[in-house]
Amino acid sequence: MREDIRRIQELMEREGYVTDRAVATSVYLATTLGKPLLVEGHPGVGKTDIAKVLARVLDGDLIRLQCYEGLDANTALYEWNYPKQLLHIKLDERSERPVGQREADIFSEAFLLKRPLLQAITHQGRAPVLLIDEVDRADEEFEAFLLEVLSDFQVSIPEVGTVRAKTRPAVVLTSNRSRDLSDALRRRCLYLWIDYPSLEKELRIVRSRVPGISEKLALQLTTFMQSMRRLKLAKTPGVAESLDWAAALVALHASELDPSLVQETLGCFLKDEADLRALSSRLAEGELAALCSPLG
Amino acid sequence: MRRPAAEADLLVHTTHFCRFLREHGLLATPGDTVDAARVLSLVDITDRADFQAALRSVLVHRLEDMGPFEECFEAFWGAAQKAPAAWLRRNSPPVPKKEQAPLSLDHWAQGQDEGEEREEAMLPAPSQLESLRRQDFGSFHDEALREVTRVARHIARRLAMRRSRRWEPARDGARPHLRRTLRLSVKTGGELSELAFRQRKVRRTKLVVLADVSGSMELYARLFLQFLFALQHSFARVETFVFSTQLSRITEQLKSRAYAEALAELSLEVRDWNGGTRIGESLRAFVQGWPRLLDRHTVVIVLSDGWETGDPQLLGEALAAIHRRAARLVWLNPLLGSPDYQPLTQGMVAALPHLDVFAPAHDLASLAQLARHLAL
Repeated sequence: MREDIRRIQELMEREGYVTDRAVATSVYLATTLGKPLLVEGHPGVGKTDIAKVLARVLDGDLIRLQCYEGLDANTALYEWNYPKQLLHIKLDERSERPVGQREADIFSEAFLLKRPLLQAITHQGRAPVLLIDEVDRADEEFEAFLLEVLSDFQVSIPEVGTVRAKTRPAVVLTSNRSRDLSDALRRRCLYLWIDYPSLEKELRIVRSRVPGISEKLALQLTTFMQSMRRLKLAKTPGVAESLDWAAALVALHASELDPSLVQETLGCFLKDEADLRALSSRLAEGELAALCSPLG
Repeated sequence: MRRPAAEADLLVHTTHFCRFLREHGLLATPGDTVDAARVLSLVDITDRADFQAALRSVLVHRLEDMGPFEECFEAFWGAAQKAPAAWLRRNSPPVPKKEQAPLSLDHWAQGQDEGEEREEAMLPAPSQLESLRRQDFGSFHDEALREVTRVARHIARRLAMRRSRRWEPARDGARPHLRRTLRLSVKTGGELSELAFRQRKVRRTKLVVLADVSGSMELYARLFLQFLFALQHSFARVETFVFSTQLSRITEQLKSRAYAEALAELSLEVRDWNGGTRIGESLRAFVQGWPRLLDRHTVVIVLSDGWETGDPQLLGEALAAIHRRAARLVWLNPLLGSPDYQPLTQGMVAALPHLDVFAPAHDLASLAQLARHLAL
């Protein structure tokens, strides 16, 4: 049986997602047990990418619902196409048909604007991957609504009736832990925590995602980023920042780090003014070598 | 191939393991146990890392449980690997500890004596405390009471006016409600003769106040009580509790028309004014006794100096439970108003990790600041 997990891991790596056994096991179990996968971790560790890669591995469409404060059922599930409805009513003005009939017309599926959740439920063909991104940013009311949808993948639209999913989508939820999610939602999901990668794993990620990078630069950069995460920064850079920085350095034809190069490109991985100032002064004091050595 | 018997054994052990997790405070529901049993057939159970990863992904639901899970896994399967049966016998689930009975009155009197001794050892030198009190408020008269009432009204108004980002139908409003308007227009053949409106929902924030009225809080308790009285009268959705060694709900008493009347009722019904302090036990009594008061629209305010004479760990657990279920947990500490104060008492140290807001409350200005922390 472990073959399956190894295959998932291989497939994910082939799609450019460097991963490990624990992640592959969770992804495999979530798809096999048909349960949503709740992925938590610091910003920029590749939570969203799991869903993208999973869609490619399963060869299904990716449907994404980005959560934000104030997100409600209308934006997540469906909305009526008002302009089209108006037009239809106008065109139908002379018709002798009873009002009830005409009302039924404009509240039929043809006038429905499907938002991500309904898209996932009515999706035809191969099961899609539904990514519910940053679910912690939506409010609790929405979380409760989501729970309902995720439990049986059916929704009732008062004007149309109950719509049920033919193929259950694979669901990935991500959270930055800006707020604690309810126990009810957690219990429904398999849980995966993605930590900052080890030096070895981050090196593999940088090599695979930024192909043109020199071996020496890749090692220096990852060691440097690992020391960044040990510092007490206001905004700790994630893997996404490592990749941005690596790409920038490659574009500048750099083959190794030097203090002035780091000074000039600090903005690629530090997104907070205080952090920028703190690190600038460290570099000015000649600490680059220390930051690039494994024990920082 | 595995022998069926071994597989059945493993299933039994996995079920025991789930129970073991529950005994150690992890959230492992019967549904999780079923999932755990299902994954046994999906992974290579002879590979320990795989087995552990599989159980982890179905049995752990939050980051905080990760560490305890690894420890439990080590404790349970580490030993079980060698001699599962013997291990299980030795480690059969312990008899659940008896729920501690609420302190009876004479028990409480004893407990208080002990408590006070310990409390004395922890309190700052009397002269220091005395000066602190004088600096904050010497006397409280009508003028001040009016001021407290004004502050409470201000806070209540801020809370009542908060608009949510969600919409609801309205009789008239700034924004049209398209769906309803369309529905109405069917009657008139698409002519928009009648408009329906929508408006932002009002957020229904609720407040729960837990005020410490133990000996060390005596002077502050007077101010707080007046404040709570005023708040109760200007804001409908507030529940008020006081505690020193026991917790009492005083919402109803505060609803009396006059402050003096409310005070008289309170002194009759709350027995342990100015006693010792058992914050942890009192908060746990709140979590267990009034679970329905805690939800995502509730802000919980604890008013206390954090001089805990009970078990600080209990305090930490109770606060964690409140923090998980309430929208926000605010701790107001009157001592924080003093520039030299450091929250280093055992109680405060246990409490700090679970708080959303830790703020001073030693004078009216700091109470007025409270409004900022309450708006959700």
